[in-house]
Amino acid sequence: MAKTKGLSIIIVGCGKVGETLVEQLIREGHDITIIDKDAARVESLAGTYDVMGLVGNGASYSVQVEAGIEKTDLFIAVTESDELNLLCCTVAKRVANCSAIARVRDPAYSQEVSYLQEKLGLAMIINPELETAREAARILALPTVLDVSPFAHGQAELVRFKIPQGNVLDGMMLYDLSKKLDTNVLICAIERGGEVYIPTGNFQMMQGDVISVVATSQTTRLFLSRIGFKTNQVRNTMIIGGGKAAYYLAQQLLPMGIEVKIIENNRARCEELSELLPRATIINGDGTDADVLKEEGLKYAESFVPLTGIDEENVMLTLHARHVSKAKVITKINRIAFKDVIGQLDLGSVIYPRYITSEAIIAYVRAKKNSMNSNVETLYHLFDSRVEAIEFRVNERSAVTGRMLKDLRLKKGLLIAFINRDGEILIPTGHDTIEAGDTVMLVTTHTGFNDIRDILA
Amino acid sequence: MNGSMILFILGYVLRIEGLLMLPSAAVGLIYRETQGWAYLAVGILCVLLGTRFSRERPENSVFYLKDGCVATALSWIVMSAFGALPFMLTGEIPSFTDAMFETVSGFTTTGASILTDVEAMCHCSLFWRSFTHWIGGMGVLVFLLAVVPLSGGSHFNLMRAESPGPSVGKLVPKVKATARLLYLIYMAMTLIQIVLLAFDMPLFDAIVHSFGTAGTGGFGVKADSFVSYSPYSQWIVTIFMILFGVNFNAYYFLLFRKFRKAWEMEEVRWYFAIILAAITILFLDVVRIYGTAFEALTHAAFQVASIITTTGFATADFNLWGQTSKVTLVLLMFVGACAGSTGGGIKVSRIVLQVKTMIREMYSYIHPKGIRSVKMDGKPVDNGMIHSVCVYMITFLLLFCGSVFIVSLEGRDLVTTFTAVAATINNIGPGLELVGPAGNFAMLSGLSKWTLIFDMLAGRLELFPLLILFHPSLWRDSFSRRAH
Repeated sequence: MAKTKGLSIIIVGCGKVGETLVEQLIREGHDITIIDKDAARVESLAGTYDVMGLVGNGASYSVQVEAGIEKTDLFIAVTESDELNLLCCTVAKRVANCSAIARVRDPAYSQEVSYLQEKLGLAMIINPELETAREAARILALPTVLDVSPFAHGQAELVRFKIPQGNVLDGMMLYDLSKKLDTNVLICAIERGGEVYIPTGNFQMMQGDVISVVATSQTTRLFLSRIGFKTNQVRNTMIIGGGKAAYYLAQQLLPMGIEVKIIENNRARCEELSELLPRATIINGDGTDADVLKEEGLKYAESFVPLTGIDEENVMLTLHARHVSKAKVITKINRIAFKDVIGQLDLGSVIYPRYITSEAIIAYVRAKKNSMNSNVETLYHLFDSRVEAIEFRVNERSAVTGRMLKDLRLKKGLLIAFINRDGEILIPTGHDTIEAGDTVMLVTTHTGFNDIRDILA
Repeated sequence: MNGSMILFILGYVLRIEGLLMLPSAAVGLIYRETQGWAYLAVGILCVLLGTRFSRERPENSVFYLKDGCVATALSWIVMSAFGALPFMLTGEIPSFTDAMFETVSGFTTTGASILTDVEAMCHCSLFWRSFTHWIGGMGVLVFLLAVVPLSGGSHFNLMRAESPGPSVGKLVPKVKATARLLYLIYMAMTLIQIVLLAFDMPLFDAIVHSFGTAGTGGFGVKADSFVSYSPYSQWIVTIFMILFGVNFNAYYFLLFRKFRKAWEMEEVRWYFAIILAAITILFLDVVRIYGTAFEALTHAAFQVASIITTTGFATADFNLWGQTSKVTLVLLMFVGACAGSTGGGIKVSRIVLQVKTMIREMYSYIHPKGIRSVKMDGKPVDNGMIHSVCVYMITFLLLFCGSVFIVSLEGRDLVTTFTAVAATINNIGPGLELVGPAGNFAMLSGLSKWTLIFDMLAGRLELFPLLILFHPSLWRDSFSRRAH
C-alpha cells in the first residue's frame, strides 16, 4: 500500500504500547529501530517483527547515535517513566532534526502538557490513561451506544450501536432511512456476523447488526431518540480501582454533573484521591469483593467502569455487574491477544487503551509522510482494524477537488462521510464537491491511505 | 511446524537455483559444448518444479525459529541434490554419491573434490562448480530474502539459520534491505577481483577463481590449483581471500563512513592478528625451502589466507613442508574466518569469546564471589550467548570425533583421516597426506563420503539447523498435528 519509502522511526520502550506501535507501524512499511534496556524484550520483538533491536538506555547519546538518530524522521519514547521519555526526546531533539513524541501519564504533568510540548519542541505528547478516560466519559455521556469517536474537533461524531430486537431499524432499507426518520445521518459501516460492510442504499438493516453512524452531535442525538434510544447521560458511575485512568475519568465526569464513586484497595491512594477529587465519593475497599460492591449499591448504579490494571479482573467485574444490575458497563482491556474471546462476551463497551494511543501516533505518522497535499487529521481503526475512519485536511487543489462527487471514480469499499467546510458539517450528496481548505472524513475498508488522492480508483 | 510455508520456500529456492543454472548453460553455448544442454534442461526442470510449489503464498505465513532452521537445512539438501544432476547428466561424475559430494562441497564452499582430473572437465561444469561456491558463500536464502517479497519480520529466522557466526545482527531495520546490502557488497567485491585477475589470466579463469575466492570455496580449473599462476595473481587472490573472510558488517561501516565502529570490531582485529602471526611462523619455517624470501613470503601468506578463510586454494603442496607449518595450518583450519563473512570454521569470534570465558573462569577461582562480565567490542556479552558458544564447541567436538571414527573404518593413516574430516567440517577443502592439495577424496568409500557430506552441510549451517532435523520432538509435533 505504501507507495513511497517508509519513514525511519526509533521507538524507545518495548512495553505494551511500544509493541502495538511496532506492530501497526511495520504494517505501514516504515523502517523501525527499537531500543530497550531489557535484552529479552528487544530480542523477542526483533524476532517477531522486521525491526532492528538495540539494547541500551534510550536517553543516552551514544545509544541514540548507534540507532541512527541522524537519519531518523521520528523519535517515539514510550517507556514506563515519564521523566525518561521526556529526557529521551530532549536528547534526540538536540542531536538530530527529528520529530519527537513522548508518553507522559502522570497527572502532575497533565496540566502542563501544552507548555511542555511547546518548550521542548515535541510533536506530540500522548497520555493513554487520559485518552482512555476521555473515551469512557464520551460513552457515559451517551450510554445507549457502544462507542463515540469525535471528528472535526468534536463537531461531528461517529457512534456505534447495536440494533436491538424489535427496533424500527430492523428490516429497514438504507434508502428509506432519511425519509422515514427525517434526519440527516449517514450510516457508514455495518457489521454483521463477523463481516463488515460499507453499505449502499439498498442494504437492509437487521436486528443484531452493529451500525456506525456519522453526523453532528445534535443530529446524532435526534436520530437516536427517533429510533427509540435514550440520549441522556448517566447520573452516577462506579469506578473500580483508583489508578491514573480512574482519576482522569472522575475529573472528566464530575464537571458533567455525574456522581462518581471510586473503590480503591490502597488506603494511602484513597486519601490522595479524596484530596484531588473532593466531590467524588472515595471508598477504601476491595472492589473485586462482591459484598463490597453490594454494600456500595452496584444494583442501583447507572454505570460501572472497572479500571483495574488486570484484564481478567475487569472482565469478571463487568460480567458480574451485567448479572446483578442494569448498569451501563465499560470494560478496559490492555491485552489485545485474546480479542477473539472478548468479542464473544457480553462486555458492553470495550476500550483498548493501546489502540487509542497508536491510532493517534499513526495519524501523525501518515500526516508526516505526506505533508504536501493533504494531512491526516484523525484516524480511527474500527472493527478490529478492518475499517479505517480517517479525516483528511485538503491543502491544495488536486484531481479530487472541484469536481462533483458523482463524477469522481472512487475506489470500492469507500464512503465519504462528511465534508467540513469552514466549520459547517456537510453530509455529502453526489452533487457536492471537495475544495481546498476542507476537511473530509472517509470510512473505508482499505487501510493505509496517506493522501486524499488515494480515494481515486 | 508450518509445512506449507517451508514447502513454499523450498519451491522458491529451487526456482532461483534453476535460474542460476542458466549462466552455466550460456558458458556451454560460448564454448560450443554439448554439456550446456544438461544445465539448460536441469535449470528448466528446477524452475518448473519450483514454480509448482511456490505459485501461491500460503495463508499462514507465521514462521518460527524452528521453521527457519528446517527450511534452511532442507533448502540446502534439496539445492545440492538438484545441483548434482547436471554432473550426472553430462556423464562427468556418473555416481550420485560423487556428484552429491562435489555439489555439497561447492555450495558449502568447501572445495573438496572427488575429481581425479579437473582439467578434463568441460567449461560449463567448471563454471557451475565455482558458481555454487559463489551462491553458497553468502547463502541462497539471504539471496531469497533480497529478491522475494516476503513480508513479516519472522523471516529474519531464515537469515539467522543461514548466516555464519554466533549472533546475527541486521545492518538496517529491514531484513530485505539488509540482505540486499550484503549482496551488493559481495557482488562489488567479486567484480573488482575479476577485473584485477583478468589482467593476468584468461577471463574464464579470472571469473572462476574469483567465485572460488568470494565464496571462500576453493574449486579451481587446474589440477595443481594455483601453482602455475604468476605471483601477481597469487597476491591478488591472497588479499581477496583475507578480505572475504572479514565480517561484512565491517564493510557496511566503512561504506557508511562509520570508521570508528569498523575499527572497534574486536573480531576483525583478532582475525588480522592471527593471520600476521601465522604468516610469520610459516615464513620462518619455509624460508629455507624456497630460493628467495619473497617467494617464501608469497607461499606462506597464500597458504595462511587460504586455510584461515577456509578457501583451500594452494600455491604449493604444503604436504611437503615442515611439521610446524603443517600443524599451524591444521590449527588454522579450526579457527576459521570471521562471523558474518563467507568463510567457515569455528569462527574467530567464538574462539575469542571462549578464551575470554576461560580467563573469567580462572578469575572466579581466585575470587569466588567476584562478578566480571565477558566483553566483546566493549560491550558485555550475556551469559546465554556464552552458554551457546560453549555448547557449540562441544557439539562441534562430538560431531568431529564421531566423523573421524566413521572415516577411520577405511583403515587409512591418522593424518589423512583426521584432516579429511577437519577439512570438510570446517569447509576448507584439502587436508593433508592423501587428501592434501595434490590429492583428492575420490578413493574414500561411500560411507565416508556421505559422512563428509553431512559434515560439510553441518559445518556450513553451523550445526544446529541441520541437527534439529534429527530431534524427534520436531517431527512428533507436526505428525500429531496432521493426525487431527
